[in-house]
Amino acid sequence: MLKKIAFFLLLALLTGILSGCWSRKEISEIAIVLGTGVDLTEDGRIRLTVQIARPTAFVGGGEAGAVGTEAPASWVVSAEGRTVEEAERYLAMKVPRELYWGHNVILVIGEEMAKKGTRMVTNFFQRERQPRENAWLMVTKGEAKDFLETYSDLAKTSAQAAGFLTRMKTCYAVQLREFAEMLASKGVQPTATRVEAKKAGITPGPGQEKVFTAHKQVELTGAAVFKEDKLIGWLDAYQTRGLLWLKGEAMKGAVIVPSPAEPDKNVSIRILRGSTKVVPEYDGENLRFNVIIKVEGNMVDQQSREDLARPEKIKALKEAVAEAIRQRTAVALEKAQGEYGVDIFGFGEAFHRKYKKAWRELKDRWDEEFTRAEVNVTVDVRIREIGLLTRRASTEEK
Amino acid sequence: MLEKGKIDSNQAVMLMVSLVLPTAILFVPAIIVKHARQDAWLAAIVALLGGLLIARLVVSLSLRFPEKTLFEYAQTILGKVPGKLVGLLYIWWFLYTGALIMDEFASFLCTAIMPETPPVVLFLVGIAVAAYAVRNGLEVLSRYNQLLLPILLGLLVITFLLVTKDMKAERLLPVFDQSAPAILKGAAVPLSWLGEIVLFAMIIPFLQKPREAHRVAALATLFTGLFFAICTVVTLSVFGPNLAAHWVFPVYNTVRVVSIANFLERLDIIIVAVWVFGGFAKMGVFYYAAVLGSAQWLGLKDYRPLVAPVGLLLIGLALLCDNIVDLLDFAARAWPPYALIVFEVGMPLFLMIVALVRGKGESNA
Repeated sequence: MLKKIAFFLLLALLTGILSGCWSRKEISEIAIVLGTGVDLTEDGRIRLTVQIARPTAFVGGGEAGAVGTEAPASWVVSAEGRTVEEAERYLAMKVPRELYWGHNVILVIGEEMAKKGTRMVTNFFQRERQPRENAWLMVTKGEAKDFLETYSDLAKTSAQAAGFLTRMKTCYAVQLREFAEMLASKGVQPTATRVEAKKAGITPGPGQEKVFTAHKQVELTGAAVFKEDKLIGWLDAYQTRGLLWLKGEAMKGAVIVPSPAEPDKNVSIRILRGSTKVVPEYDGENLRFNVIIKVEGNMVDQQSREDLARPEKIKALKEAVAEAIRQRTAVALEKAQGEYGVDIFGFGEAFHRKYKKAWRELKDRWDEEFTRAEVNVTVDVRIREIGLLTRRASTEEK
Repeated sequence: MLEKGKIDSNQAVMLMVSLVLPTAILFVPAIIVKHARQDAWLAAIVALLGGLLIARLVVSLSLRFPEKTLFEYAQTILGKVPGKLVGLLYIWWFLYTGALIMDEFASFLCTAIMPETPPVVLFLVGIAVAAYAVRNGLEVLSRYNQLLLPILLGLLVITFLLVTKDMKAERLLPVFDQSAPAILKGAAVPLSWLGEIVLFAMIIPFLQKPREAHRVAALATLFTGLFFAICTVVTLSVFGPNLAAHWVFPVYNTVRVVSIANFLERLDIIIVAVWVFGGFAKMGVFYYAAVLGSAQWLGLKDYRPLVAPVGLLLIGLALLCDNIVDLLDFAARAWPPYALIVFEVGMPLFLMIVALVRGKGESNA
């Protein structure tokens, strides 16, 4: 009997020990970091800016977001230090809760910091256990602090807004791990999402024109081009489309082409899907890349009056789309080969896959070889649907 | 006989899988990829073939003495004193390999989920559980393992399936990019881990059907080797050869990448579960071998009095490891050649040759 009692007493004791509340972190004791920005200050120090969720704003607030002055959904705070960790420790002196990095959606690097080198920044976020390797990496024109200090009208916070924008792949999107992979490879130079804070839209309502003026919101504006870990230039949104086609990523968006019979009017083709194949050719001296892009899209918009729902017109449109895509790639190629002199498309990787031996010689001067390479782009277009309309309603026949 | 339990062939296969797999999968891709890069999976296959040879050798040797463990037949073959010496070496090897496993076990937990917990706490808790299993004998250990191993490996396979979205076959190309020596170098470390199958020589006498030992060892090695190759391919196709070699625990990072529809994500804890439960099993097998071996070496009638002292010895040895850099260096550079040359191939081969020359044991194996 005594033995049994002792057994149950011990068992009861165990529940106290084994439930693992030694270093527990209650949700009310942690500060959830949603977005992180890193800038280089003028005196060469690292400034870490975090956007922290304000939990009270997330309780039962519905979809209204951060509108209004009463309950902002986030709090933005910065600290400086020689390393990211030092800045984080100084930050810990200002934030009355323990910083928690597990939900960090975006890592924004300021322009000056990116020019100095991203390795100083990304290492912490890969080495630490809390930040995830699939956070989105972006580079902002200007300061990351300014970028994070914005708020969003649709998403709860601007960090989440930027995260959603990248996740939908409306523009070039890259995760921290993908960036690190590009950084570690000799066959491709890294690129990251370029973001800016710009005035966009207003929240209308009766008598609220004064209250809600347009404020700065986050926006994806293209891509940032790196050589090794240093920022060397930018691509705008149009050039970034070319980058996406050549990299074979995220085939979304639209191609605008002149209408076959009325070249001053436009037709829009929305891209559904596509694929890119890069075939290198090398004879020991001349380097050539044949890029074969396959695209599938639907017609969504027509400004002209002609009847496009005819096979020969579709054929003409296909050619026009192919030409438009070739132009986009040409613009991006011109930037990469001419202005920046870096292989941001990963042609080196494709070359390595086909010419193992030659790669060993070329890999250390790959960017030079790349700038000399000839690139032929072939586009194979398929226009599948034309929407709900065959031709536009018009009084005159054509 | 010191051990009265008997295990069936399935349990033996699973136990031998647990002997190698649990701690190895976390480190193995980084180590292979470092040398063999895109050809890492080839290196894993090479290691598998080598592992099969070692398994063949060890079982052939043991089956000449189906009633005896390594410690007993070493004396039969070499005579009392040299045999004892061989036994002593193996006790030493089991002990510090066990300590190495504990260090790996603790450093992963400290890095990934419990940074504030001192390793010694993890050692104590781990050894306490393992000691309980060891004290209760081989059958208990085998059943524990039989229960959990399929669940753990199933979970791992499911997470691997979930990460297919982030895989790219191009990251595995080109094939045969590295020279043959580099691939062999990459194969050496996983081979040394697969070679831990030597420990099977301690268990063969307790099989219900010792004659199936060849099949058991081959199946276990085949399965473990293939799992190595799968882990390597998955990690490589997610991170590519440049990044995969840089992680300390590449499979852990691979699982962290899983994100389906922004909803099914943060599955890291699965790896931790695999690690903890698998780690116990692996630690348990080495612990058991060390205890049983010591008892046989000392000529005791019961091995249970040795469970506690050997456990303390394991903790003491594990505490010798100063930091994770030492640990990784030791596990990747110092331990493999030494284990492979002396304990996994050299000694069994030597015993086999002497046994053949002296005509000891049954020759029908």
